[in-house]
Amino acid sequence: MKPHRVEVHQAEVVVAAIKSTTLAALTAAALALPLTTIYASDEETTFQYGNYQDGARNLFTTQSGLKPIEVDSLQSSTKLKLADRVRLAFNYSQDTWSGATPITTAPLAFGGNRASPFRASTISGASPYLQPNSGLVYVDAQHNPLQQNLDTGAYSKNTQLVHTLSSASPETRKQGDFRVGYDWDEASLDVGAGTSAENDYNSSFGNIAGRLDFNKKLTSVNFGSSYTSSNTEAMLDHDAVPYIEKSTFATRVQSLANGVKMVTGSREDWAGNVGITQVLNKSALIEGNVSYTASKGYMANPYKVMEVLFIDPTQIIDTEGKLKASMRAFLEQRPSERNQWTESLRYVQHIAPLDAALHVDYRFFHDDWGIAAHTFSADWIQPLGDGWSITPRVRYYTQDSADFYTPYLVSNQAASKSVIDPITQKITSVKYDPKLLPKNYSSDYRLSGYGALSGGLSVTKKFAKGIELQAGAEYYTHAGGLKPGGGGEGNYADFDGYLINAALKVDLSTLSLANSMHSEHGEHNHHSHHHGTGAPAGVMFDHVLSQTGETMIGYRYMYGNQAGMTQNGTNTVSDATIVNRACGGQQCYVTPHEMSMNMHMIELMYAPTDWLTLMLMPQFMDMHMTMRPLDGAPKSPSMTTPLGAAILHSAHEHTTGGMGDTGMYALFNAFDKDNQKITVSLGMSAPTGDSDIRLRNTHQQDLGYIHYGMQLGSGTWDFKPAVTYTNQIDDWSLGAQVNGTARFESSNKAGFALGDIFQATSWGSYGWTHWLSTSVRGVYTLQGELKGAYRGVYHQIGAMDYTNNYGGQFVDIGFGINAAMPSGKLQGNSLRVEWLQPVLDDVNGYQLPREGALSATWSYMF
Amino acid sequence: MRRYFYLYLCLFILSGCSSISPWERGTLAKEHMSLEPSPMQNSLRSHQYGSREAASGGSASSGGGCGCY
Repeated sequence: MKPHRVEVHQAEVVVAAIKSTTLAALTAAALALPLTTIYASDEETTFQYGNYQDGARNLFTTQSGLKPIEVDSLQSSTKLKLADRVRLAFNYSQDTWSGATPITTAPLAFGGNRASPFRASTISGASPYLQPNSGLVYVDAQHNPLQQNLDTGAYSKNTQLVHTLSSASPETRKQGDFRVGYDWDEASLDVGAGTSAENDYNSSFGNIAGRLDFNKKLTSVNFGSSYTSSNTEAMLDHDAVPYIEKSTFATRVQSLANGVKMVTGSREDWAGNVGITQVLNKSALIEGNVSYTASKGYMANPYKVMEVLFIDPTQIIDTEGKLKASMRAFLEQRPSERNQWTESLRYVQHIAPLDAALHVDYRFFHDDWGIAAHTFSADWIQPLGDGWSITPRVRYYTQDSADFYTPYLVSNQAASKSVIDPITQKITSVKYDPKLLPKNYSSDYRLSGYGALSGGLSVTKKFAKGIELQAGAEYYTHAGGLKPGGGGEGNYADFDGYLINAALKVDLSTLSLANSMHSEHGEHNHHSHHHGTGAPAGVMFDHVLSQTGETMIGYRYMYGNQAGMTQNGTNTVSDATIVNRACGGQQCYVTPHEMSMNMHMIELMYAPTDWLTLMLMPQFMDMHMTMRPLDGAPKSPSMTTPLGAAILHSAHEHTTGGMGDTGMYALFNAFDKDNQKITVSLGMSAPTGDSDIRLRNTHQQDLGYIHYGMQLGSGTWDFKPAVTYTNQIDDWSLGAQVNGTARFESSNKAGFALGDIFQATSWGSYGWTHWLSTSVRGVYTLQGELKGAYRGVYHQIGAMDYTNNYGGQFVDIGFGINAAMPSGKLQGNSLRVEWLQPVLDDVNGYQLPREGALSATWSYMF
Repeated sequence: MRRYFYLYLCLFILSGCSSISPWERGTLAKEHMSLEPSPMQNSLRSHQYGSREAASGGSASSGGGCGCY
């Protein structure tokens, strides 16, 4: 017998198909179902894009020219059944973020943010400025900060606090994990593991979870445990390093070359939870859960610092009522142990008259850092009919501050003092005593007392054939004033943000059922043959849908990289040649060492009539680049100049990632006779990808735009036509295509336009069986140089910063395998993989040669 | 606070002794009645909350990186 959960789903499909048997089907499903642990589906794949954007922080006297932090997330998740009772799930996610966040907090009077010296004419920026006026500031007898009126010179009390912001160049985190589960009739066990990697933080984890059903499956006990091991290796902000006191960090901070300081640490987390889920009646259920997490090790944020105001208690107050004080910055210190408890309740109630579901959750969190937090949330899921559903939600969160949280510290001792040796009469300078500082301190606003209110809406549309689209938006506001009973952090720390997401879910078990029903009704699946011998994976725009209302979804992945010896035209060149020839009239300092790109595309095709197919193709990408110094390069200018700072920064791996451009196409067959087809595709690409990504300011220098090739989109509206010829002769399939990309605009908002592209390709494939074919393909590509140039700050340190070093003529040979599932559970699915091996790189100017490109596609037509 | 929590826990366990016949379980089998109707969206939201708030988790899930931004 098949396990129960699949039956639920099958039952649901039957409902869609044969409405009159709804009651019977649901009852059949309910008989075997463990109601306390309902899963959406056992076999599904989901792809999600998310974007989180912080709002601008209030800096009072200074306006920040820094973009607030933005996070682009990509997630994919697949659940499969390996055998009757064995489940497998694997997930991949990546986040790319860049922008400004608070690094510390200080009294406004001390001028923690200042107008940036560069770009001053256009935007006033703010950069970390941790030790104003050489650290000397004034306070009154009660240690209130004093601000000087620049016109009158007089001092007056000003207790207003302000964040100091610091900005980050794009960084990416990638996580992969999996889970294997086994189901018994009245129990289940899951084991999983995964890893998360980013530049400065790596973690690996394993977990185990189980479920036991009792009481005719009306009660379930859930339990789980996990272990996580994490390592921090964080390079300190170049600009902040000179101002950060290291006396309390001797063991944690390592000095590397170029004055780079690295903070290292490791931590371990053990967690366990136990919960119970109970069906209360035929329309309500509740879950209670208790969890405990023990964390040990380095738990501080290496990028947050604490401002300490040193006030020498031996000084005499001056005639204006002022005391001298000295401001110093320390890396924050958090306890090396944290014990956390969470108790939560989740309640689900069906609202019969509206067929809605009300979800109400409450969570109480407390730890031995002194934080207690309450979370309330409510979701109302309202089905609207025809597969639509809408979910408004509201969430309120509040927390007390950690014991060691304070916006800034006051220490009653001199930061440094001159001491005269009574014997030798020698004067020495004695620094503060670090032992007089608290053991732990942090000014991270996330450890302060505050409340956060958020509200959002999601809309879901479920298509009958197992496809579901979801879009959601949520607005989030954080404020000290939202903490009940007062005592929250001041309004300087208030901020808001919003989160949007879009997801595509494919229910694989419904697909397979829909297919088998389809076949039973004698409507033969007409496209599997076509797909099995279709074009190689790297070819797009080669086919149309042939029936009104037909839909296809697909996922395309492309990887490409460049590495090796730099070429000029078709010849490899020496470092000396690059230095002297590749950078216009200037000399090059560095050269690209390796560049790679990952691209994920979602292909959505729909035929509104039988002769026209519309296609929408959103893209998501990430790019990586490393550079190396050139032998014989001129001496780098000082790192206190913009060019010197840019050259030093090139030693870091550069990454970008997020949404790319979005393609929109219309396809039709201009000729279709005797297995011969000419398919025309007309479309354009919308500039939804960023083309103005900048590097963060470093060494107090504006590094300006990142290299042209690292931008995620063209920034221009592009025209993309393609004409494809295909011919099917017995087991052979032949095809040829010409396609192009022409930029509608002469420059994007950053000031440049990518070169136009012309491509011609031809292939032949042979079908070994009705479901498997292999292909060979030749590709010729011609791409023009970049036009225009960045308007605004950018530093030309290597060949990749000169527009004539883009484009060229390229020839590749491709080897591909196509597989289509003609029958069985995965009928209608096809998988295609192709490797493109470069044969000729005739580059414009000086560029790295290509090493190869991989294309993999999955598509499903129904 | 915690005492009430455990009290509630006991109460609803006891209330579970009442029986619900299989043919009365159709409503509970609906997808929007599941405890976690949108797990992917939920994980994105949790990740964002986790990078902005001190209280994290509550389940035995793990990973998620630093959230240092």
